[in-house]
Amino acid sequence: MTKDEERLLMQQLIDPKSQRQAFERLVREYSEQLYWQVRRTVLSHEDANDILQNVFLKAWSHLDDFHHDAKISTWLYRIAVNESLDFLRRKKNQIVVSADDSGQSVSQTLMADRYFDGDQTEALLQEAISRLPEVQRLVFNLRYFDEMKYSDISALLQTSEGALKASYHIAVKKISEFFRSHD
Amino acid sequence: MTNDELYLKERVGQKNPFHTPEGYFDQFTANIMAQLPEQTSHAHRQVVDQHFVAKKVTMPVRHWFYAAACVAALVVTAFSFHFHEQADGQQQTVVSETYMDEAADYAMLDNMDIYQLLAEE
Repeated sequence: MTKDEERLLMQQLIDPKSQRQAFERLVREYSEQLYWQVRRTVLSHEDANDILQNVFLKAWSHLDDFHHDAKISTWLYRIAVNESLDFLRRKKNQIVVSADDSGQSVSQTLMADRYFDGDQTEALLQEAISRLPEVQRLVFNLRYFDEMKYSDISALLQTSEGALKASYHIAVKKISEFFRSHD
Repeated sequence: MTNDELYLKERVGQKNPFHTPEGYFDQFTANIMAQLPEQTSHAHRQVVDQHFVAKKVTMPVRHWFYAAACVAALVVTAFSFHFHEQADGQQQTVVSETYMDEAADYAMLDNMDIYQLLAEE
């Protein structure tokens, strides 16, 4: 979406008459990008779908809170990041509380997932990523798979580029060590 | 690119190993649009804001009213307690005098018998 298109979309989102139609365009435009970002964080399609729905419902109910000097895509990404992290924290607590945890590893769960096409190595990569701390995990996914610029990640996560570079470097090192230990 | 990053890209690649159910993204937009609640209109929000302001203005007046009601309740309670105690004391004296007279009549005792009983004790 060009800057002019985004500006027009923002004007339509403010106007109650065109708001719904403009929001539909917004969902059509960004749902796929956001889905992949969320999916890489939470891994399962069902969870990613629930989170993505929450992202757009939240965006709709908080349209007034959007600062018009920011990019709407950054705003949506930020909601998606927060929703994904909240989900992971809730899930972590549930696993700690739950006594009947199946004890399956992430790679085993993925290999049994009908919406996962990858081989064993790709499943292991996801397992290694899932062991990273939250921020390293987000930065790694955005940089490694999406090849996002550090300046864009910085705007998204509101962290300095230097800190992000350090996080990515550590994440890559940890994942490499994980694979070397499996070779 | 660092050696570790290079190793990882050669060892694992960057392919997206996930996929979605068929037609998922086409249905997603319609799904979301069906779930969207009516947006609170600007006019409605203004009415809500005005109501909030009106509430804010009347709040101190209401506080004074509550405070006055509490003071009045305390005064009424204090007065009623005081009068109740006074009435209770008077009633007790009356009851004890009549009770003694009735008891003396019932036992057919005159004043002399009473003095004698008291002297014997």
